[in-house]
Amino acid sequence: MKARLVVAIFSVAVLLAYGVIGGCKRSDAGANHKEDHGSLKSSTDSLLKLRYRPKWQPQAQFAGFYMAKKMGFYEQHGLDVQVQNTLGGNQPVEQLLAGNGDVVHLDLLSAMSINKDSTVVVCIGQISQNSAIQLVGRKSRGIRSVEDFKGKKLGLWRSGSNLIVRAYLQHLGIEMEVIPMEWSVHIFTENMVDVVSVMHYNEYHQLLQAGIPEEDLFVLSFDDAKHNIPDEGLYVLKEFYNKHQKECEAFTEATIDGWTYAFTHPEESVEEVIRLMNETKLRANAAHQRWMLDKMRHVIIPEPESFGILQRSDFDNAQSVLKKMGILQRNISYEEFYPRATR
Amino acid sequence: MKSSIPVLHANEERTLAYQLISFIFIAMLLVFVASVLVTRVVYKKIILDSQLDKMRHLVHERVYMMDGILHKVESLANTSVNLLQDNEISSSSLEKHFRNVVLDNRDVHSVTWVSLKPDNEQALLFYPYQHLVVRKEIQGADYSFNDWYLFPMVSGKSHWIEPWVDEDGDKDFLISYVIPVYNKGEIASLIRYDIALSFLQEKLINTTSFKIGNSFMVSSTGTLITHQDQSLVMNHTLFSLAEEYKDNALKDLGSAMIHGEMGHAFIKGKSPMAFSWIYYQPLSSNHWSVAIAIPERDLMAPINLILVIQTITSLLIFLSVAAIIYARTVSVSKPLQSLAIAADMIGSGDFEAQLPISDKSYEISRLTHSFAAMQKSLKDYIENLKITTEEKNKIRGDVIYASEIQTNLIPKQCTNPFGIKEIRTHGVLEPAGDIGGDLYDFFLIDENHFCFVIADVLGKGIVAAMAMTMVSTLLPSIAPFYKSSSELLQKLNEFLCKNNVEANFVTALLGILNIKTGVLQYSNCGHVPMFIRKIDHSYTCYNETHSTALGVFEDLKIGYDTIHLDKGDEIILFTDGITEAQNSAEDFLGLAGLEAIIEGLQYPNPEKTANSILEAVHEHAKGSTHKDDITLLVLDWKHPGFLDQ
Repeated sequence: MKARLVVAIFSVAVLLAYGVIGGCKRSDAGANHKEDHGSLKSSTDSLLKLRYRPKWQPQAQFAGFYMAKKMGFYEQHGLDVQVQNTLGGNQPVEQLLAGNGDVVHLDLLSAMSINKDSTVVVCIGQISQNSAIQLVGRKSRGIRSVEDFKGKKLGLWRSGSNLIVRAYLQHLGIEMEVIPMEWSVHIFTENMVDVVSVMHYNEYHQLLQAGIPEEDLFVLSFDDAKHNIPDEGLYVLKEFYNKHQKECEAFTEATIDGWTYAFTHPEESVEEVIRLMNETKLRANAAHQRWMLDKMRHVIIPEPESFGILQRSDFDNAQSVLKKMGILQRNISYEEFYPRATR
Repeated sequence: MKSSIPVLHANEERTLAYQLISFIFIAMLLVFVASVLVTRVVYKKIILDSQLDKMRHLVHERVYMMDGILHKVESLANTSVNLLQDNEISSSSLEKHFRNVVLDNRDVHSVTWVSLKPDNEQALLFYPYQHLVVRKEIQGADYSFNDWYLFPMVSGKSHWIEPWVDEDGDKDFLISYVIPVYNKGEIASLIRYDIALSFLQEKLINTTSFKIGNSFMVSSTGTLITHQDQSLVMNHTLFSLAEEYKDNALKDLGSAMIHGEMGHAFIKGKSPMAFSWIYYQPLSSNHWSVAIAIPERDLMAPINLILVIQTITSLLIFLSVAAIIYARTVSVSKPLQSLAIAADMIGSGDFEAQLPISDKSYEISRLTHSFAAMQKSLKDYIENLKITTEEKNKIRGDVIYASEIQTNLIPKQCTNPFGIKEIRTHGVLEPAGDIGGDLYDFFLIDENHFCFVIADVLGKGIVAAMAMTMVSTLLPSIAPFYKSSSELLQKLNEFLCKNNVEANFVTALLGILNIKTGVLQYSNCGHVPMFIRKIDHSYTCYNETHSTALGVFEDLKIGYDTIHLDKGDEIILFTDGITEAQNSAEDFLGLAGLEAIIEGLQYPNPEKTANSILEAVHEHAKGSTHKDDITLLVLDWKHPGFLDQ
C-alpha cells in the first residue's frame, strides 16, 4: 500500500505540474525530469536497451508511449526504448514468450490467463483503468435492448479482449452465435452480423465515420463493476523483472509522463501519431486519432490517483471472472502479479 | 486692350468633353453592372443546369466503365465457379484455368482459391509476375478471420469486399469479389478475384475524355477509395472529412452516396471539396458510388467568360464613344472658344472684333449669327448713347447755368436787408434737383414798406424753375404800383394765367410790412400756414388762406389780413417741403412736428431759427430717399438787440 501511495502522489504531482505548466517549453519539462531521476541515470553507466511492443499498430491508443519516446522521457529515465512493430492482435505475447520483446501491452484477463499455472509475466503498470469495450447493434435492425441480442450473430474479436465479452454475456445469460473476426468493422456495416464488439475509442468511432448515425446505435457498455476489467497493462517476463526491477519502474514512470504530455498537448500528439501511421503506411485520419486520444483520457485517468496503478479490486474482479469461466484454477496473488504493490 | 471681365479658362474638369465622357461612363457603368447582375442571376441557373447535365453524363460514363470492370470480374468468377462445380475437372486443369485468367486479364490482379475440405483446407493464390504466374499456398489460417473469407461464409453469398491489404500478396490495397462454390448444398470452396485499387484509380482518374473536375469513388462505408488527392485515399471517409471540417453538407453527401442515391450537391466549408459541385451515381455491381467534383469557379467558367467578353466589349464601346465625343466636342468647342474670345473683346469695347467663320454645326452657326447681330446692335446702341450723352451734358450745362441764375435771383443773405435796422432776415432754399420750383424773396416797395414772399410752384424741373423765375422778377417790378398784398398777388395771378404754358399752380404767401408801425398786411394763396413767434417764445399759427393757388383762375379774388406786430416778433415762412419731409417709415413731419420744433426754439434770431428748423427737418428725414424742395424764410421786426447776445 505504501508503494501505491508513493506512486499515486508522484503521479498526481506530475499531472498537476503538466496541467499548470502545460504551455512550458519542452526543455523545461526535460530539465525537471533530469532533476527528479538523476539518481537513476547516474547509477547506470549506459542506457538500458528496452524493446517495447504495443498491442497494435501505431494509433493514439499508444500516444503516451510515442510522446515519451519523442520527448526523451525514456532517455531521461536511463532507458533506450525501441518501439517494435506489431502486426497482429495476438502477436505481442507470442513475441514476448519467444524472447523477441521485453515489455508488451496486454489486457488484464489475457495476462492472468498466461499465468494460470505459474507466474510467467508480471504487471509493471496498468495504463487503462476502465474497460472501453462495447457491444453495439443497430436499432434500425431491431437491436434496441440487451434482450434483443439473444440468438443473434455477434462479431467478436478472435483474440485479446474477447474473454471479458464472453464472460459478460455468460453473466447476463445471453447466448449468441459468435463469429470470430479480426478488427474490421465491415462485418457489421455490411450487416453480416447483428452485434459487434468495439472499443469505444476506436471501432465505435469508425462506425460513425462509416456513416452510421450515432442515434441508430444501441450500445452496451461494460460499466457493470464486476465486468469493468481494464485493458492496457504493461507486462514483462518475471525473470526480466527480477533482473531489471528499477528499469521496469522507470519505464512505467516515463510512460506516465508520456501520457501526461500527450493529454496536455493533444494536437502535437495526434500529429506525431499520424506521422508514425503514415510511416507505417496505415490508414489515418486526424479526426479519428483526436477522438481516440480524447477517449483514452477517460480510460486512463478517470481519477488522478489511480494513474498507472493496477487496482486490487480490478485484479480480484479479473481473477473471479477467469475462475468462473474455468480458465483459472489457482489463486494468483496480487503482489506476485503486480510486484510494485509491495514497494 | 486688357479686359477686366474674368475669362473662363479651359478647366480640364469642366470641359464639355470631360463632362460628357464622365456622364457616359457613369451611364455605361450602370448598364454594365445591371447586365452583369442579369447575366449572373439568369445565366447562372441555365449554365448550372447545363453543367450538371454534362457532369451527369461524365459520371454515367465513369460508372459504366467501372461497372464494366467489376461485371467482367464477376463474370470471370462465375466461369470459375462453373468449372469448379464440374466434378470431372481435375485440380491441375483448375490451376491452369486460374493461371490463364490471371495472364489474360489485365484487370485481374490475383485470384485465390480456397478449398474447404474438412481435413485439408487449402488456399492457393495466383498472381502474375512479369510474364509468368506465381502460385502461392497461403500458410496458416489467419485469413479465415478476414472479411473476404467471413462474408461468404456467414451469408452464403458472393460479395464485393471493401479495399483491404493482402499481407500474403504484394501488400497493395485490393478490391475483391468473393463467391462461394457449393457442393451438395454445402460451401465447398471460395473463389476470390482481386482488382488492384491503383488500377481502378488509374482508370477513373486518368481517362482522356475526362477533361475537367476530380472524380472519386466511395465504398459502402463512405471511404474515399479513389481520389486525385492521394492523402485522402483510404484514410478518409466522407464522414471523417465532415467531422474534420465540421461540414454537415459533406455528411449528407456521404449518406446519400452510401445509400445508393443519385444526385448532386454543392459543398462549401473548408474541406478539400470546398466550393465544388459534386454529381454522384451508384455502381450497379456493388452499389459503391462514383462522383465527379468540379470547383464552382470551373463550372461557372462560361459565365466568367461571358463576363470577360462583356467587360471587354463594354470597355471598347466606352473607349470608342469617348474618343468620338472627345473629337466632336473639341471640334465644337474650338469655334465656341473663338466666339468666347471675340465676345470678351466686344465686352471690352472692341466692337470691331472679328467673329469666327460659321461652323458646320447648326447651333454654333446660329450662335455666331446671333453674336454678330448683337455686336451690330451694341455698336449702334453705343453710337446713340454717345450722341444722347453729349446732348444730355449740354442740357445739364444749361441747367447748371439756370440754377446759378435762379440762385442769383434769391436775395443774398444779410442780417439787415437794404440797411433796414428794424428787420433781420434769413432765408434758405434747398432744391431737390439742380433747379427748384420754390421761391422766397423780399424787397422794399418804398422807404416804409418791406415786401416779402414765399412761393411753391407745383412740379419740379425747368418749367417750375421758369415759373419761379417769372414770379421772382415780376413781383419787385410791379410792387410799387400796388400797395396791398391782395392786389399784388392778383396781378401776379393774371400774369401767370396768361403766360404759364404748363399751367403750373403756384402757392404763395406775400406780406407787406410797415417798417415803422409794424403793421403787416398779408395774403395766403393756397400756401402752407405762417408762424409768428413772440419774444416770450409763444407763437401763433396763421393757417387761414385768402384764395386758392395762383396760375389757375384768371379772375381769382384774393383777400388779406392785417396783423400788428409787436417788437421782436419773428415771422416764420416755409414751403410744404418742410411739413411733408418723410422719415424712413414714410411718416410726414407734419404741421404738428414743425410746431414742436418751433416750440423748442431758444433764441429769436432768424438765422439760428432757420438753421435749427432745417437741422430738425434733416434729422427727421434721415434715411429717407424722398426729396422735395425745402425753403425757409425767417424775419423779425424791431427785435431788441440784446436778446441776440
